[in-house]
Amino acid sequence: MTDRKPLYLMTPALAWLTAFMVVPCLLILALGFFRRGIYGGIEYTFTLENVALVFDPLYASIFLKSAAIAGLSALIAVVIGYTAAFAIAAAPTRRQPTLLFFAVLPFWSNYLVRTYAWIVMLNREGLVAGIAAWLGYDGELPKMLYTETAVVIGLVYNYLPFVILACYAPLSRLNPEIAEASRDLGASAWTTFRRVILPMTVPGIATGFVFVFVLSIGNFVTPALLGGGNFQMIGNLVYAQFLTANDWPFGAALSMFLIAIMMGLLTLQTFATERASGARRED
Amino acid sequence: MTQPLLTIRNAQKRFGNVKAIDGIDLDVQENEFFALLGASGSGKTTLLRMLAGFEMPDGGEIILDGKDVSQVPPNHRPVNLMFQSYALFPHMSVAQNIAYGLEMEKLPKAQIKSRVDDILDVIQLGQLARRKPDQLSGGQRQRVALARALVKRPRLLLLDEPLGALDKKLRGDMQLELKRIQHEFGITFIIVTHDQEEALVMADRVAILKDGKLLQSGTPHEIYEHPQSRFAADFIGVMNFFPVREQGGKLVAKDGSVIAAAKKLEAGQEGVAAVRPERLHLNGDAGENSVTGTVSDIAYHGLDLQVHLKTAAAPEPVLIRLTADIAEARPISVGDTVTVNWAARDTRAFAH
Repeated sequence: MTDRKPLYLMTPALAWLTAFMVVPCLLILALGFFRRGIYGGIEYTFTLENVALVFDPLYASIFLKSAAIAGLSALIAVVIGYTAAFAIAAAPTRRQPTLLFFAVLPFWSNYLVRTYAWIVMLNREGLVAGIAAWLGYDGELPKMLYTETAVVIGLVYNYLPFVILACYAPLSRLNPEIAEASRDLGASAWTTFRRVILPMTVPGIATGFVFVFVLSIGNFVTPALLGGGNFQMIGNLVYAQFLTANDWPFGAALSMFLIAIMMGLLTLQTFATERASGARRED
Repeated sequence: MTQPLLTIRNAQKRFGNVKAIDGIDLDVQENEFFALLGASGSGKTTLLRMLAGFEMPDGGEIILDGKDVSQVPPNHRPVNLMFQSYALFPHMSVAQNIAYGLEMEKLPKAQIKSRVDDILDVIQLGQLARRKPDQLSGGQRQRVALARALVKRPRLLLLDEPLGALDKKLRGDMQLELKRIQHEFGITFIIVTHDQEEALVMADRVAILKDGKLLQSGTPHEIYEHPQSRFAADFIGVMNFFPVREQGGKLVAKDGSVIAAAKKLEAGQEGVAAVRPERLHLNGDAGENSVTGTVSDIAYHGLDLQVHLKTAAAPEPVLIRLTADIAEARPISVGDTVTVNWAARDTRAFAH
C-alpha cells in the first residue's frame, strides 16, 4: 500500500473519467435543481420542483414499468446465458474458445442493425410469421412487433453475450474435483448443482443480472424501435426532455434517479461478489 | 481366509489409445491399510477413480462386499474418496462441509449434529467448526477433507495422495495420525501415493503399479526385502546394482569379480546383482561378497553417513550407509580406498 506506482499508472484513466464522467454527472446533478427557462434553457434559481415531479404518479409509473421490463429481461437473459455458459464450460477445453467466440459474435455487429433485424423478423410478414405459415399455421398470429414482448426480446438478445461471459468466468474456474466430491458424498447431479455449483457461481449470475438490468433500464433505442412508441421507458423520457420537450432540468432530475439506481445496484453487486469471493478462491 | 472386502478382477481401462489400466487383479481385506504405489502415469489414480465410481472400467469386475459395483455411480457406492486437492466446498463452513454427506443420507438433524461433533473431536478441529476452508491452514484443510469422507463411515475409504500438499515434518505426523484413525474406525483404507517411504510406513500391504499393470504386491517387508523385478527393486528404497553375466553357475561382474546371490540367473543370461546400502559392511567377515573402490563423495545425513564408492564392478558409484557409531569408530575421507563386504543372502539377481 505504500507503493505509489499503481496510483501514477492510474492517472490517465482517472483523469479521463473525472473529465468525461464525474464532471458531467455533477453537472447533471446540479442542473436538476434549477428552474426551466420560459423558452427552454435554464434559469439559475434553486428549486426542488424537478425532483418532486419525478415522484409524480405518471413518471413514477414509467420508472416502475422500466424496472419491470429491465428485471424481466435480466432474468430471462440470466437463465438462458447461465445455461449456455454451463454448456460451454462443460465442453472439451480446446473447443471452449470457439464456442465463446460464436456466443459473443453478434455483439461485434452494430447495435442498431441487430435491433432492426428483429423488426424484420417480428413484423406481420416477417420471418417468424413466415415460419409459422410454412409450418402450416394459418390462423391470426398475435401481434409481436411494437409490444413489450418485442422490447424484452430485443433487450435479452442484445445483452445475452455479457451474461454468457459473466457466468462462464466462475464456471470455468470451478475445480472439477469439487463437483466430484459432492457426488462422492452421495449427492445426485441435480443436488450437486443446486448446493455446490450454483452457490459458487452466484457472483457471475449477479454480475450478469445487474449488467443487463442497468443497461436495459436506461435503454432508449430498443423501446423506441421495437416498442414502436407505444410505451415509454425511462430512457425515452430522458431523451424526450433533453431533445424534444426542451426541459433540461427535469431531464437531469430523471437522469439523477436513473444513475442513483444503477450505482446502488452496482454497489450491491460488488458486495455480493466480494462476499462470495471465497467461493472462487482455489489453491 | 475370509472373503476379501474388495476384489478387482482383470480390470481394464483405455483412454483413446492408452491403456491406463491393463488387466489388474487385486484383493483387499477388511480393515486393511492398502497402498497403491506408482510413478505418475502408472494408472494408480485411474484405479482409485474406478473404485470411487468416477471412471467405469472397460472390462473386468470390481467386487465390493460380494457385489459387482463397477457400473454403480459414485453417489450410490459405500465408498468415499479424499481428493488430492481436498475439494472442500469453499462456500460452506467446516461443519457444513462435514455434514453435507450425512445430509445426503437424509439422517435426522440431531444425529447429523452429533456425528459431526464427534468427528470434529477426532480431528481436533472443534473450535474451528464455523471457519470457511480458506481460513484454514493446509494441514487443517487436510483434516477436514479426511473427516468429511470418514464421517460417512464408508466400507472403503480412498485417499488420493492425502499428504502430498503438506511439508515434510507435518507429513510424518500425519502418517501416524492416519494409521491411528484407521485403527480407531476400523475402516479399510486404500491410499494412492508416489512416495514409497509413505507407502512402507503406513500400509499393511503395498501394490506397485507400472504402466497400468500390477507389478508386485505384498507387505512392506516383502516388497522391500524381496523385490521381484529390477523396477521394484529400484523404485522402493535405494539399491546398488552390479551388471553381471551368468558364467558356469556364477555371476560375474564387469571387472571379473564373482558375486554370490540368493537367486541365480539362467545359464549365459545377463542381468544385475542388487544389494541395499545398509547391507554393506566395512568389516571383512560380513559375507561372501566384496568390492573395493575409492571414496568419491561423503554426505552427512545426521542419522547416518552416506558414502559413495567408485568401483570397477559397477558404472554407478556404490552407496554405503554407515551409522554414526561405525563412522566415528572408523573415520573415512574422500580419496580413501575402501573394501566393503556383504552376504550372498542379501543379494538379489534380476535378469535383463
